[in-house]
Amino acid sequence: MSALIFTLKNQPKFTLDAAPLTPENLEGKTLTQIKNLKIIYGNKTSKLDTLFTVEGTDSSQIIIENSTDKLINAGQAMTKGSLTINGDAGDFLGQGMKNGTLTVIGNTGSWTGNAMSGGRININGNAGDYVGAGLPGDAFGMSNGLINIKGNAGDRVGDRMRRGIIIIQGKSGNYCGSRIHAGTIIVLDKVGKLPGEGMRRGTIILAKKPTHLSATFKSCGNLKMQFLRLLFTQLASIDDELSLFNKYGPEAHRFSGDLARNGKGELLILQHYK
Amino acid sequence: MKATRIIITAMTLKWAYRAANAIRGFASSVIACGIEADIERELKPSETPDGRPGISVMIFAMSMKDLEKHVATRVGQSVMTTATTACYSGLDSEQKVSMGKSLRFFGDGFQISKVVNKRRFWRIPVMHGEFIVEETAGVTKAIGGGNFLVLAKTARHGLAACEKAVEEIQKVPGVITAFPGGVVGSGSKVGSKYKFLTASTNEAYCPTLKGQVKSELSDEIGSVLEIVIDGLDEESINEAMRLGIKAACSFGPAKGICRISAGNYGGNLGPHLFHLRKLLK
Repeated sequence: MSALIFTLKNQPKFTLDAAPLTPENLEGKTLTQIKNLKIIYGNKTSKLDTLFTVEGTDSSQIIIENSTDKLINAGQAMTKGSLTINGDAGDFLGQGMKNGTLTVIGNTGSWTGNAMSGGRININGNAGDYVGAGLPGDAFGMSNGLINIKGNAGDRVGDRMRRGIIIIQGKSGNYCGSRIHAGTIIVLDKVGKLPGEGMRRGTIILAKKPTHLSATFKSCGNLKMQFLRLLFTQLASIDDELSLFNKYGPEAHRFSGDLARNGKGELLILQHYK
Repeated sequence: MKATRIIITAMTLKWAYRAANAIRGFASSVIACGIEADIERELKPSETPDGRPGISVMIFAMSMKDLEKHVATRVGQSVMTTATTACYSGLDSEQKVSMGKSLRFFGDGFQISKVVNKRRFWRIPVMHGEFIVEETAGVTKAIGGGNFLVLAKTARHGLAACEKAVEEIQKVPGVITAFPGGVVGSGSKVGSKYKFLTASTNEAYCPTLKGQVKSELSDEIGSVLEIVIDGLDEESINEAMRLGIKAACSFGPAKGICRISAGNYGGNLGPHLFHLRKLLK
C-alpha cells in the first residue's frame, strides 16, 4: 500500500482547516469518499478535491505536499499513524494530539502541540510562539508526548505545560517554560529573557547561559546530575535523530525556582560536553 | 511463582555489586526469606538505562503480595542506601510491582517525577546526590525449584563439581541459583514431624543417617549437595540443568562424583517436572 498523498493545487489565500486529514478520520474511507470530504477554507466549506489532488491508499501514512502556513489545525486530535507535511504549517499543529507521529519539513505557526497528550511532533524548521502551551483559560498546556524542533522557537515555549518533553535544537524566545507545572524543556542554543518565569515544578535544561535570569531563582551550585545522564541516554535511545544527546554530559549548574511559586522547579545549565 | 528483574547501576561496577549483594542477602529460599534472589549477570554501560555499569538481579516469590512487600523494602534498604546507585526495571510486562511508587516518599516532598520514553522515573534527593528509581518493575510468571543432587564421596569432591556446575549455569540468561554460592548444603523435604515446620532435613539423603532410615545413598556416598535453579521459563531451566549436570558429571567417579539425582518431593513442589535423563538426550 502506498501512502495517502494530498497535494495542494494552489497556494491558499485564506486559512485552510486541515483537521480532518488524520489517519483515524480517513481510515476505511474510499478515495472517492475522501475526495468528497468537506473542509473549511476561509469562511466557507469546500469539497476536499477542489483544493487537493489525492492519491494513494494507506490512510495510516498521510503526506501533505506543497503545504503553506495557511494550513491550520493539521494533525488535530490525532491518535495513530503518521502525518508528514512537506512545506510549512500554520497555527495549532498537533492540537490535542494523543498518539502517532507528526512531521513538518518546514516551519510552523504558534500553539504547536497545544493540549497534546501523547505522540511525537518533529519540526525540521522553526516554530512560532506558545509551543506545547495551554490556551488562555486552560489550566494546563501539553500533558505528555515529545516535541522536537530542529530550528528555533518563539516566546513562551511550554507555558503551563503539565508533562512531556520539548526539545529545541536552536534558539528559544523569551519566557521559555513560563508557568510550567511539570515536564522537561531542553534548549540547545541561546534562550531569551527570563526562562522559567513563574514555574512551579518541572525542568528547563539550557546548553547556554541565559542573559536574563529572574532574581527568584536560587543557585544550587555546579553538580553532576545523575538524572541528566539518564535523560540523555534515554532520549538518544529513541531514534537516530535524538542521538545528538550522546555528546552531553551530566554536569550542570542547578538553579531552583521560581521561588515566587514554591521553588520546586529547576533550571539546569549544562556545563560542558562529554 | 512470580518473578521480577531489576537493574542496579552505580558509578562503578564495584558499587553496583555492593548493592546487588545487599539485595540478594538473606534471599536463599521462599520458605523463610519470603523471596529468592540472586545476581543474573553484569551489564555493560550500553545495556543499562543510564549508560553506567550495572548488574541485573532477579527476584522470585510465591505471590504478587510477597513480591510487592519485599521488592520495595529491599530496594529501599539495600539499593537506595548504597552510594551512587540507581534502580530500574529489567522486565517489560503488563503486571508490575512498586519500586519508586513507594520509595518516592523518602524525598519528603522534594521528589521529582519524570516520564521519559514512556517510563516513569522518580528522582529522590539524597545526600550523595540523587537516587533515581523507576516507578515500577515488570513481573512475569516464573518457575522455581528446578533442582539436581550431586552425590559424592566427600563434601570436598561434591563442592568442586558443584562450583563448576554453578559456573556453567550462570551462563544461561534468565536463571538464578539463589542459595549461597549456588549450592545447597542442607536440602530439605516438604513437611516435618513437627507441625509448625513446613520443611525439614531430607533424611533419605543424609549420609550420617544411612543405617538409621530408609536411605537413598549407597555405601560409597559421603556427601550430597543440591543445586536449585529458578528461571523465567521452562526452556531456560532445562538448559541450565543440562549444562550444570554435564559439568558435574565431567568430574566422574575418579574425582569422587558417584551419582546425579533430583528431588521430586512427591510431586508436591509444583506442576513442572524436569526429567534428568530427558534433559541429557
